[in-house]
Amino acid sequence: MKRGLLSVTCVLVSLMGLTGFSWGEYDWGLPSWVPTPSVPQDNPMTPAKVELGRHLFYDTRLSADQTMSCASCHQQDKAFTDGLAVSSGVTGQRSKLSAMSLANVAYLPVLTWANPHLTSLEVQSLIPLFGENPVELGMAGKEKELFARLQGDPVYQRLFARAFPKESREGADALYTLTTVTRALASFQRSLLSFDSPYDRYQYGGQKNALSAAARRGEALFFGEKMECYHCHGGFNFTDNIRHSKLPLSERGFHNTGLYNRDGRGAYPADNPGIRELTGDPDDEGKFRTPSLRNVALTAPYMHDGSIATLEQVIREHYASGGMAAKGPHGRSPMRSSFIAGFEVSEEEVADLTAFLQSLTDPSFIRNPRHSDPWRDRGPRGQPQ
Amino acid sequence: MKAFLIGLSVWALTACSTTGQSASNQSVTLAFAAEINGAPFTCGQSYAGVGTTRSTLTPSDWRLYVSEIKLIRADGQAVPLNLTQDGVWQYQNVALLDFENGTGPCRNGTEPTNSSVRGVVPAGRYTGLELTVGVPFNLNHQDPTIAPAPLNSTAMFWNWQGGYKFIKFDTTSSGISEGRPAAPMAMGPVTRYSVHLGSTVCASASRTQAPAACQNPNRITVRLDRFDLARGQVVIDMGAALAQANVDVNAQGTSPGCMSFPKDADCPPIMGALGLAYDGTPPAGPQKLIRAR
Repeated sequence: MKRGLLSVTCVLVSLMGLTGFSWGEYDWGLPSWVPTPSVPQDNPMTPAKVELGRHLFYDTRLSADQTMSCASCHQQDKAFTDGLAVSSGVTGQRSKLSAMSLANVAYLPVLTWANPHLTSLEVQSLIPLFGENPVELGMAGKEKELFARLQGDPVYQRLFARAFPKESREGADALYTLTTVTRALASFQRSLLSFDSPYDRYQYGGQKNALSAAARRGEALFFGEKMECYHCHGGFNFTDNIRHSKLPLSERGFHNTGLYNRDGRGAYPADNPGIRELTGDPDDEGKFRTPSLRNVALTAPYMHDGSIATLEQVIREHYASGGMAAKGPHGRSPMRSSFIAGFEVSEEEVADLTAFLQSLTDPSFIRNPRHSDPWRDRGPRGQPQ
Repeated sequence: MKAFLIGLSVWALTACSTTGQSASNQSVTLAFAAEINGAPFTCGQSYAGVGTTRSTLTPSDWRLYVSEIKLIRADGQAVPLNLTQDGVWQYQNVALLDFENGTGPCRNGTEPTNSSVRGVVPAGRYTGLELTVGVPFNLNHQDPTIAPAPLNSTAMFWNWQGGYKFIKFDTTSSGISEGRPAAPMAMGPVTRYSVHLGSTVCASASRTQAPAACQNPNRITVRLDRFDLARGQVVIDMGAALAQANVDVNAQGTSPGCMSFPKDADCPPIMGALGLAYDGTPPAGPQKLIRAR
């Protein structure tokens, strides 16, 4: 009898562990085939933190002159990009880099275009908030002012207390901090999940008619050896940068696509050289993190500096020619990835590959009310009207 | 709570799975050594004297799958090594060996490395070893994006149709090293050289559906007749695989180095050294990549 009980307990406990069952776990709302994201142990997901983070994300009080929020450059209808080549902050200073999509950012082990050391969303959020080169939200040195703005709003008093009950019991100084603000912003961004594109329905949902014939031909090109797209844009998030709960070793990929060759030796513009700026390794010239291609049809213009306007141009002008530098005086970059070999491409193939890339657009993601502006009915600055 | 549950389930799995285990099993750790022409492989190091041009290579990645490992008993019987299912490196009868540590030129890699295979066999006296370089067909053509570790490493994705890269070995040849001019390249000044081994010509209904078979499986079967289980090492030497290759050039219009695809003039010397048939030519001889020490 005792032995039987032990066996039953064994089976039950094993099953619970293996299926990831536990009490009170955050519901990601993911389709069953998608592994859940990895989350820092000190910032577990809760609906209350996501909701607070959503309010902060859309709140212009997070900028020095209260004109911009995170959402200024990360707009839901553009898969959380801004449609610009590069973005400007509150002082008008232009960034060197194009605002990246936040769809499925929870799966990225390394963030932004060209910083191998930036591995957590909590830390990343400090950059737009407080960065001085470029100035984005412009809050450097103004964190006390920020906390005062938040603390004075009854909406935040309620949201902060719910999201951080322990800190709430310790008082306002513990509750309104960079820790709580960045943890909430990170939690909201981790909730921005996009897995309901026509391609998902076709590949994982058993809806074989979810893709057009053109998109299916484009799929064959995408996964083929002629264009080699999937080598870097592989995996369910269409990037070789991936981290999730079922992947013990996270993967990162920084590549030079041969966009520039300023000197015949592969130099990129001196003020925007990729991760070489941080690693100091000459071999890292022009290397940028592979972006996800999910919702890519909504995130124009393209490349790290927004220098290519359309997907068709990215395919025809850039990748087919072995990197855009091929059209310049020094020709193809010697520093480009070995996968950027160039290829012959017909207009039909460009259209087919574009149709495939368009099939990665998730209409429910850009309309999901849980990702939308909670202040919309309260006026542009988050102030009740 | 979650950590507690994981802990509890690990306990449960261990407690429950070991109760039925026979006491006459023995644990085995097979040690592998990655080398280039006899020198130990390290990320960031360059290796001289490689290939027909005696070129200098700086590797940026080296991982490979081994599978179907069998130990050969003194009486000649081959006994499958039952791999420890560790959730990281080993799944069913496949293990990922990972010699890069994510530093320097291996930046796109992962920090942890793995140079051993761990498992259990019935106790006995074993004097030899068999293994396959590659992923068995039944695991090779699933959707890698949702497969269990170590079959979900994006670096090892070949494509869904063709399965995994069995070997991923990436380098920069001396073409761009200081003091030596760029080697003349037919396709432009590309100076990267890779060996990616995988199955090819795997026809299927679409790029993301599994094929029924592959015309060129390209799995390397290795038999080491004399292997000391306690002190021996399985030596994998890419220098030997590249001995007859020219790593400073790439045949026009083909993948950089040899990526196993048919009709790539860079491939015959490499496939030959791996003991594999290529483009209708039978293997030139036994594989030279792996030996016992």
